[in-house]
Amino acid sequence: MKTNRLSIGLLILTALLCGFPSLLPAAALKRIVIGHPEALSGQYAKAGEQAIGGIQAAVEWVNTVHGGVRIEGRQIPLDYKFYDCESRKESVTSLLERLITSDKVHFTMAPYSSGLTLAGAPVTEKYGMIYLNHGGASDKIFEQGFEYIVQTIGPGSQYHAGTLEMIRHLDPKAKRLALAYEDSEFARSVMDGAEAKAKQLGFQIVFKRTYPQAVADLTPLLSDLKASNPEIVLGGGHFQDGQLLNKQLADLKINVKLLSLIAAATLPAFGNALGPLAEGVMGPSHWEYGVTFSPEAAQKNELPWIGPEQDEFVNLFKKATGQELIPDYHAAEAAAAVLALVAAVEKAGSVDSDLVRKAFGELEFMSFYGTWKIDATGKQVGHDMVDVQWQQGERKIVWPLATKTADVVYPKPRFK
Amino acid sequence: MIFEQLSGNLLQGVILGGVYGMATMGLSLIFGVLKVVNVGHGAFIMVGAYVALTLFQTFGVAPPLAVPAAMVIGMALGMVFYYSAIRKLLKGPELASLLATFSCGVILEEVCKQLFTSEARGYNWELGKLDLGFTVLPHAKLLAFGGSALIGILLYLWFHKTRAGMAMRCVVESDEGARVCGIDVDWEYALSFSIGIGLTVVSGVLLTMFIPVGINPYMGGSYTLKAFVIAVLGGLASPYGAFFGGLVFGLIENGSYTLFAQIPGLEPFAMTRFFSFAMLLVILLLRPTGLLKAK
Amino acid sequence: MMNGYRAYLPILPVAATYALLLGIGVVSPDHWQLIAQLAFYCALGQAFNLFMGMTGYVDFGYVAFLGIGTYGMAVSIYTLSDKGLGIGVVLIGLVLAAIFSLGLSLAVGAVALRLRGAYFAIATIGVNEGFRYLLEGARIWNGADGIIFSRHLRQGVGRQTAMALSTWWADILVFGVAFLAAVLTLVYMRNKVGYALLALREDEDAAKVMGINVTRYKIIAFITSAILAGLLGASAWALKLTYVYPSDVFAIHYTVEAIIIVLLGGAGTLLGPIFGALTYGAAKYFLAIVLPGFQLLIFAPVIIAIIVLFPDGTVGLLKKRLRDTPLGKFII
Repeated sequence: MKTNRLSIGLLILTALLCGFPSLLPAAALKRIVIGHPEALSGQYAKAGEQAIGGIQAAVEWVNTVHGGVRIEGRQIPLDYKFYDCESRKESVTSLLERLITSDKVHFTMAPYSSGLTLAGAPVTEKYGMIYLNHGGASDKIFEQGFEYIVQTIGPGSQYHAGTLEMIRHLDPKAKRLALAYEDSEFARSVMDGAEAKAKQLGFQIVFKRTYPQAVADLTPLLSDLKASNPEIVLGGGHFQDGQLLNKQLADLKINVKLLSLIAAATLPAFGNALGPLAEGVMGPSHWEYGVTFSPEAAQKNELPWIGPEQDEFVNLFKKATGQELIPDYHAAEAAAAVLALVAAVEKAGSVDSDLVRKAFGELEFMSFYGTWKIDATGKQVGHDMVDVQWQQGERKIVWPLATKTADVVYPKPRFK
Repeated sequence: MIFEQLSGNLLQGVILGGVYGMATMGLSLIFGVLKVVNVGHGAFIMVGAYVALTLFQTFGVAPPLAVPAAMVIGMALGMVFYYSAIRKLLKGPELASLLATFSCGVILEEVCKQLFTSEARGYNWELGKLDLGFTVLPHAKLLAFGGSALIGILLYLWFHKTRAGMAMRCVVESDEGARVCGIDVDWEYALSFSIGIGLTVVSGVLLTMFIPVGINPYMGGSYTLKAFVIAVLGGLASPYGAFFGGLVFGLIENGSYTLFAQIPGLEPFAMTRFFSFAMLLVILLLRPTGLLKAK
Repeated sequence: MMNGYRAYLPILPVAATYALLLGIGVVSPDHWQLIAQLAFYCALGQAFNLFMGMTGYVDFGYVAFLGIGTYGMAVSIYTLSDKGLGIGVVLIGLVLAAIFSLGLSLAVGAVALRLRGAYFAIATIGVNEGFRYLLEGARIWNGADGIIFSRHLRQGVGRQTAMALSTWWADILVFGVAFLAAVLTLVYMRNKVGYALLALREDEDAAKVMGINVTRYKIIAFITSAILAGLLGASAWALKLTYVYPSDVFAIHYTVEAIIIVLLGGAGTLLGPIFGALTYGAAKYFLAIVLPGFQLLIFAPVIIAIIVLFPDGTVGLLKKRLRDTPLGKFII
């Protein structure tokens, strides 16, 4: 008898514990929390710091300017919680689970890079949590059948599409294209995409070689490249290798009409490190300070506008990081992911993962980051990249023509 | 065409190899005297790179003039790490000193990350270039090579012509013998550790003259691995053996690229790395005393 | 010399610790991933200690065995998932992982085990790096692109099973590897292998002179340790994370973690690696939460202090203290 009563009591208690929150979903919701195991140390620390600054700026905007996330007529504040995963795969899973189970976050964000994004996916899928991918560009993530990953960064294969179109536009006769890039899954997907696009536009690939990660000297590769006599060089992969590539091209006096480097060339550190050698070097970027996305442009394209305008974002970013720093695209894309989330939650009128995921699928909007739209797998298809070029020590947007802040210098200045 | 490219690569290889050799001398010196493998080696090279960068950017000091400062900073770091950690581990198992030197490297990396952020930095010091037709050599690179060779020669002279240097060589031969001869072995250990670290930090300065960009707190790792291969080529315990090991390494790394590039389906650059580590194993097996010395 | 069951009593505290960890994980599933991470460190420490602790040889390239084990599982799932084998691909993956790591350990053993001390440490680093660049340079198993096989796992065994495999069974396997490593360590300690290796650790030349076939026992311990690492990679890295990049799995840094764990607890002890793993894993986890970005800056000096102050590790120290007490027979 006694045990019976006890078990009935327990049953009721459990029912209460489980049932209570679901009876009063929205009313019990005091805050909406985003959890994030980001890389603050290790090899992705730089991108991680930027991303956190961008997210904090976006959250600040949502809470102060937007007045919180609007669900069912209420305005619920947005919260952000992050831990350091040290750029390491095994830390991602445990920190994500902590965020989901102990911290009871409502949504999760992936750390920077495709690898770390993949590492967390089994956990978020298990818990059925939305997993916002702000820095994993690999196309393969979206071939895996994950149901809750939502991408904001554009897929790697599209990085150089605009660059190549620009060259065709400027110089219909340019033909000889060389690809020299880091041997990593990301850089490969970028360069395979570039190769396909180049062939379609009638370029001839005269050189295609990789170099290993953490490389200290590229001389043998570059003398090989020199022998193929290219007009255009596309390459890079990460931060320091891009600087090295540029420096050693100059050392060997390899002059081409156009040099475009992924990742490295879009960061302020590139110009600081290389000084005059960076002059005329280009890079594809997801976002750049100076792009001209505005509420008016959104209206013209019949898209809803969400979030701060560019200068407002930059100010919020400076406030969040406490530094006089212009955000780069890692910050912008992470912030845009938050804005997309807010839009989707408001559209769904709920924080339920499945409803929000469905809302993401129907979402299309413009923010300071540009347009945003995903396909059925969660892959970003709405965002177009811009091409920047270093001119007089500053990055200028030179392509597409509609958003340019300066005319492209082509061919680029020669190395002396 | 291939031969022109090959000869260009080999010349570049020798120049770079000289600097690599210089960057390995400290490792070999420390191993020779203390029998400790400095697994944190690359971090000290990184410190040297920041010394050159900071002096150039804030005070306009030309990189070659940063060498004395680097030596002083390096020797001071060496003394600190020796007396706080290494000294007590000399008699312990291998494991302890390997982990301790690794941790020293991590401390330096993390401190530099706090000081300079993890951004990749660089400086621009143009001296002009020497165009040979089949390849181009910037003067800064030649200067770095000359500086490396000069330091190698100075070290050789110090070891063979000065009392202090000879005392240190005695310790390399035999601790006990040196002690009997009245040499303060503990001090010799401290001195060689700090000179070894000093040389490594200096090599960081010279390396930036070669490659003045991409300077970041975590840049040391690949140099540590290269230094192991080079040290083994030179016999692991011999500082000037290391210099020649560097030359050989530079030749092989740059030369083998051209050869691997002829084989379709390979990534030649990664293969050169495979090749250099395979070479490391072969030499350790067949000639553990290095390429120079006879058995 | 102890005989009979008494010799194997020290397995009890090991079993109790793992049972407790598992228990916590089952009762509080919220912390399962943390428990899983701790189990990973336990297994890593135990498996590394099996060779390093007994012989004193520091295999700095140890992570290569985890890496190749990861590839064993990855290759199996990637290529066989559409053959209708169901859960069989995982079993084949484990077998492949064991075979791959066995093969690599034989090759390494033949070369590097002839060397001693620092030369051995450097040679094994060379093996790890060389092997990684061979994969990348010759484009073996997709080279630097790695293998992403989440989809294949799901197609092979179904969505629910795949999820359970990645977030539960992979971790159970890690516990299995950890326990197996502990049992094997104890068995070796109590048998000829252990005695021979003890003699080797004290003085390799003397052991040889006394007619002990040092090389044979060294290779036995080396291979055992390597296979355990292979199985660990297959479960903790492949099955759990469902992707593999060479730069991720051949990272020396994991060897360093293994060394830290073993040193914290005490090299050559049975309980040491467990203690080291739990302290290290928990400290790392909480620092990541409390002081994100500063873990390494705090860790590195602490580690130096510990090696300098407690060269025998905590369990080593405890073992010395408790040698003649009733507790002594449980602690080795």
